[in-house]
Amino acid sequence: MKLERDNVKLDERIDTLRPLLHQSGNRLGLISSIDGKQLISLLLNTSENRAVCWESPLQTNRYHSLAPVISQAHWFERTLWDMFGLEPENHPRLKHNLLHEAYSTDLIPLLAEESVSSNGKPREYLPMAVKGDGIYEIPVGPIHAGIIEPGHFRFSCLGEVIFNLEIRLGYVHRGVEKRMCELPWRKMRFLAEAAASDSAAAYALAHSIAVESCFDVAVSYKADFLRTISLEIERIAMHINDLGGLAGDIGFLAISSTMGRLRGTALSMAEQLTGSRLQRGFICPGGVVFDPSDKLKSIKATANWLRKELKPVISFFMSNEVVRDRMENVGKVSPRLAADFGLVGPAGRASDQKYDARHHFVHGVYPRVRVPIAMEIGGDVLSRAKVRIAELESSLFLVEQLIDGLPEGDVCTKLPDALPNNASGIGIVESHRGELIHLIFTDSQGQCCRYAIKDASVNNWTGLAIAVRNNLVSDFPLCNKSFGLSYSGHDL
Amino acid sequence: MLRLLGFLLNQSVVTSKDYCSPSVDSLGLPSLGNQTCIGTSCTQCSAVCPTDAIAVADCSNGGNVSLDLGACIGCGECIRACPEGTLVANKNPSVARFKREDLIISNVEKRQTQEASIEPSIFARSIACRVVSTGCSACDLEVAACGNSIFDMERYGINVVASPRFADVLLVTGPVPKAMHEALKSCYEQMAEPRRVIAVGTCAISGGLHKGGYAEANGVESLLPVDLFIPGCPPHPWSIIDGIRKVMSGSVERGA
Repeated sequence: MKLERDNVKLDERIDTLRPLLHQSGNRLGLISSIDGKQLISLLLNTSENRAVCWESPLQTNRYHSLAPVISQAHWFERTLWDMFGLEPENHPRLKHNLLHEAYSTDLIPLLAEESVSSNGKPREYLPMAVKGDGIYEIPVGPIHAGIIEPGHFRFSCLGEVIFNLEIRLGYVHRGVEKRMCELPWRKMRFLAEAAASDSAAAYALAHSIAVESCFDVAVSYKADFLRTISLEIERIAMHINDLGGLAGDIGFLAISSTMGRLRGTALSMAEQLTGSRLQRGFICPGGVVFDPSDKLKSIKATANWLRKELKPVISFFMSNEVVRDRMENVGKVSPRLAADFGLVGPAGRASDQKYDARHHFVHGVYPRVRVPIAMEIGGDVLSRAKVRIAELESSLFLVEQLIDGLPEGDVCTKLPDALPNNASGIGIVESHRGELIHLIFTDSQGQCCRYAIKDASVNNWTGLAIAVRNNLVSDFPLCNKSFGLSYSGHDL
Repeated sequence: MLRLLGFLLNQSVVTSKDYCSPSVDSLGLPSLGNQTCIGTSCTQCSAVCPTDAIAVADCSNGGNVSLDLGACIGCGECIRACPEGTLVANKNPSVARFKREDLIISNVEKRQTQEASIEPSIFARSIACRVVSTGCSACDLEVAACGNSIFDMERYGINVVASPRFADVLLVTGPVPKAMHEALKSCYEQMAEPRRVIAVGTCAISGGLHKGGYAEANGVESLLPVDLFIPGCPPHPWSIIDGIRKVMSGSVERGA
């Protein structure tokens, strides 16, 4: 897929983008900048399967916020403030997103000319203050009790009921987007997949498609099949993991340990296919690194076994009354809010958002091969679990079918030594969390000058904050697991 | 209740009986085989390495390759690139080392990996670990997998605890970017002595792909004394369990 580029003047930007974004089938991909001298707004047209990048040159470092009219812009504009020092006017609540007290105000990482002033002071962070009789706060993190990535949650509670959840991220901000531009392009894929390794296959795929779209080359049919098998195995492993996590938080340990074991089976499929349990270093620009055809027969048998093994476990889990009671009507996100905040992936589909990137954007065998879109309308923890269960089943079935229909051919297309000059590329992939976007821009020397990543979690963290409102504190772990969000994919 | 019991009885025992068994399908970390290297006339391995973990030099009998497993992300590119077969795959998951320099291997001067057992075991047969994650979640998933019913680290007396106050060992994953410096240090300070620190994974050991950036994600050693290094990106669950057991058996030289 080519990235289409268009220009819109800064003062006409909101009036141009607003009607476009309100058209059904259009959605906001991301808002960012290339070197701080312009705003880029990526619009995805899901009815015509196009991606248009609207560029607005900037004169100063201020611009009018889009967030008051397009709610989901609020998160992108915060990141833009941290990474490029661009300040949105009329933003409903401007606060730092990635860089906090540990960083000085004069560090603006992605500006083309590095700022040299040394009179910066530590950045400030002020959580939203909720005041009133009986309101108290529960701060959690950044280090969590379990084995999870770091992040800070601040609950303002009234009794046992959560009034407001303030989510503060950025603790695993490692400067991935900047480092991407410093690496030779053939080595970029290793960092791309290490940005969020629980989605390594999806990240490697989005990166590869972005680079291939930059070169304007297509990969072999066989490589497309192998990439899809890899992506679906990752979805299977992570959906099992998330369902097991839900069972664990409900206290249904028999199911959570069984899911742990079955996830092990999914990982053994991944290991057979790619040599790595998390599928690192397999998908590369041009195709895949090696041909694992001799392993596919055994992977198919395992997928078949796993599908049969999962059925009774899931039905045992879902038919339990306590489980239903804990999940039903808990952590609701209404379809209206899900649309406003652009929720993606299983979280979006559980709130009646009919959007699955596999139906619209070229990656692997998609959209040629159609997968059923798993939809629910409840928007609660139960709906999100049901969407995952349906996807788990269809992914396992798909893996078997893809292995049966594997075409002959090469697995890797040779690519030129240097990236083309002044080019851009885009990769959109449906990861297990939802829509993942990688964007690449090159300069006049063919060096990557901007690499932007938008994980599904960027959209969905707001969804979690909405879901927990007016729920019990003790239901937070369930809400959290039902979204299954990534910290590292968000923080980069 | 009866259904639950029936369900559980139907699940057979899945726990792996072989300790630290090499995985057939896993790529593993690279190692140096017996084939000689031809020297700096060929530097294909170091050219493809994404983290500059390989250095090639000339010496009297060919080439001297040195490979830093603490920087290696196990992508396997060097093994595929090496025309001589000097670099080979190492499927043995027992890769943890007490000293950072023991992770640097060379085909000429074969280093003596000294796992000097000086102190007697201080943790006996039970150890409590506090896991602090500061990275991409790969190592976290593998540490969590150590506790599942396949690897079942609790049978070796290894527990994961939810507070540093109960912990004997701090397991750190990820390159420790700047925003986690303070949190990690305060977690360590709250642990009672004797305490040990284990760096899990290449990022935690050296910063890996993130080293030297503005986020100062250069690994655990820049902040805390590290007692054991478990290389891998991510390390296999067996490598992690084997590493923790090395600390349990008390082969640490440094005082508490």
